[in-house]
Amino acid sequence: MMNGLNTLWKTLFPHWRWYLRGGLVSIILVALAPAPPRAVLEAQQTVETTKSQVCVHTRLIDEVFEWKIQRSLQMVREMGADTIVEFFPWAYAEPGDGIYSWDSFDRIVRHARNQGLHIIARMGLVPFWARDDIAEQSTTLNYLPEDSFSDFADFVAVFAARYAGVIDHIIIWNEPNLSFEWGYRPVDPEGYVRLLQAIYAPAHAANPNVVILAAPLAPTLEPPGSPHGLNDLLYLQALYDAGAAAFFDALAVHTYGFTEPPEAEPGDTVLNFRRAELLHSVMVAYGDTAKPVYITESGWNDNPRWTKAVRPSERAAYTVNSYRWAEENWPWADKLCTWVLRYPANTGTYPDNFTLITPDFEPKPVYNALQEYARGWEGSDALWLPAPGE
Amino acid sequence: MAASPWRVTVIALAAALTAWVWILAGALFALRWNAIERPGPPIKEVFPYGELRIGIDASYPPFAVATSDGLFGLDVDLGAALAERIGIPVRFVNMGFDGLYDSLRADQVDIVISALRVDPARLGDVHYTTSYFNAGLVLVSDNALIETMPDMSGYALAYEFGSDADIQAKRWLRRIQPFATRPYETPGIALDAARVGEADAALTDIVSARLYLRQHPDWGAHYTPITDEWYAIASRIDKWILWETVERALQMLIQDGTLETIIDRWL
Repeated sequence: MMNGLNTLWKTLFPHWRWYLRGGLVSIILVALAPAPPRAVLEAQQTVETTKSQVCVHTRLIDEVFEWKIQRSLQMVREMGADTIVEFFPWAYAEPGDGIYSWDSFDRIVRHARNQGLHIIARMGLVPFWARDDIAEQSTTLNYLPEDSFSDFADFVAVFAARYAGVIDHIIIWNEPNLSFEWGYRPVDPEGYVRLLQAIYAPAHAANPNVVILAAPLAPTLEPPGSPHGLNDLLYLQALYDAGAAAFFDALAVHTYGFTEPPEAEPGDTVLNFRRAELLHSVMVAYGDTAKPVYITESGWNDNPRWTKAVRPSERAAYTVNSYRWAEENWPWADKLCTWVLRYPANTGTYPDNFTLITPDFEPKPVYNALQEYARGWEGSDALWLPAPGE
Repeated sequence: MAASPWRVTVIALAAALTAWVWILAGALFALRWNAIERPGPPIKEVFPYGELRIGIDASYPPFAVATSDGLFGLDVDLGAALAERIGIPVRFVNMGFDGLYDSLRADQVDIVISALRVDPARLGDVHYTTSYFNAGLVLVSDNALIETMPDMSGYALAYEFGSDADIQAKRWLRRIQPFATRPYETPGIALDAARVGEADAALTDIVSARLYLRQHPDWGAHYTPITDEWYAIASRIDKWILWETVERALQMLIQDGTLETIIDRWL
């Protein structure tokens, strides 16, 4: 029997020794392949800034390479921002009910701390196990059924406890006044208040110093009944009417300038930078005057074709002037965070023109302008040539 | 009893031959099967809402823009032409760029046509059709000696500061003999510089270049592609027949020149 097998083996694989050698060489070659760039922690850094409001929203969670996370955060520090807003998706950290995977969160936190940066965490993105049976109903990652509110609350509490003292500001959800951000369902302010309520007490029990931020609302003029969403001012009023005030410690706000300068007058039917003042007015109207506001997204876009964009020079000037405006007029705004530092890769269309640096870490004019403002530097030389004939 | 070596060899050869025959037969069958023209499922099954629902962000001319009279642009015309070719009405669902892919997942739309670059990271969720437009960078010059980036050595290149063209220019500076760099505030100003002779060529995206050349027909400049940014139509990955239907219609538009006519209309 053994002889037969031996004969079969030698007949089928007469050069088995060469196969073995080839395999060994392959293993050695793999072992000799260059390792990915390392991201060794530096000596503890501190942020040098003259403007404590300056903050930037990062998108690090989908970055593959750790050294790029480190480089991004170095450039945040070098720009003079002491705080970042970063997305921490629930679906990434709890892929199974009660099964946690913190690596992708930890590496961001590790490098942010190393650069001396504070973190405001935005939470969302529902894992498949917490959604309805996705075989029966196709749902998006923003679809959180009410039955799973307690699961999300449990996760936020675990997160708050794990990063207590490191991440003490947590934003619950993103722009729930848009249908697509609410899982492509009709928007539901009362439902969002129930979500806040489910989270608030467990999060504070897990970390007594945690600051729960109510979700930033998308600047929009959508009327009641629209399938796309609801006017942010109306939505905020609806939150207060449903008793939200008891379940958040601060309000996150998104406010964009679009084509208008930061000083442009706000109005009920206008979307511009000072719409944040209207949102704050709603807080005041409901007697919620002591709570701070964190503007977690703001900025201008300089795409040459997008209808809501401005020119690069305007973008740089408007962005810096928006910080000046906030510093002088908005004592209730603790932070003003510009969207967005960098994308891991270009989208190939206008969202790329919200970034402060390119995927290759080339600073754009607006980055340099913000850096000069935040660090109190004198203006540098012109970055581009005058137009022919000027 | 030990098997003799020749017997084992014969058995192994016979097994291998049989396997090859089956593989060959399978491959021939598959080829033949694919070549057979079969009627697809009824349109009502592919498009259960009785219309082609297209997700679009109508804030990006010349691809799509919203006015009080409706939606206009290259992507709008392409969507309408596809629907006509498929033989169903079209309905555009205008939304922000952030919601486009989620709208597919939530079955709010059938396809997305919105200056959408093929994103390898999304290939697990969506199918893309054949690309209908290359929105990459082009080198524009009226100098017959300048066709490609290596030709730029010794010349002056205009581009928009901080743009993809800026990055590409710096990359090429590391690869070839030096050329002068002239950053400007916008692509249009960079093209102005090339036209009036402040620079020998301009590196811009193709949309800016084509629109500029339309506005300056007397400028005898030519352009050549330098990078690729492929725009395509996205559909849900589990809707294979829908993708096939749209892809087939798109191929017809490409072959009969309709797509080129639409592009020329807007660029």
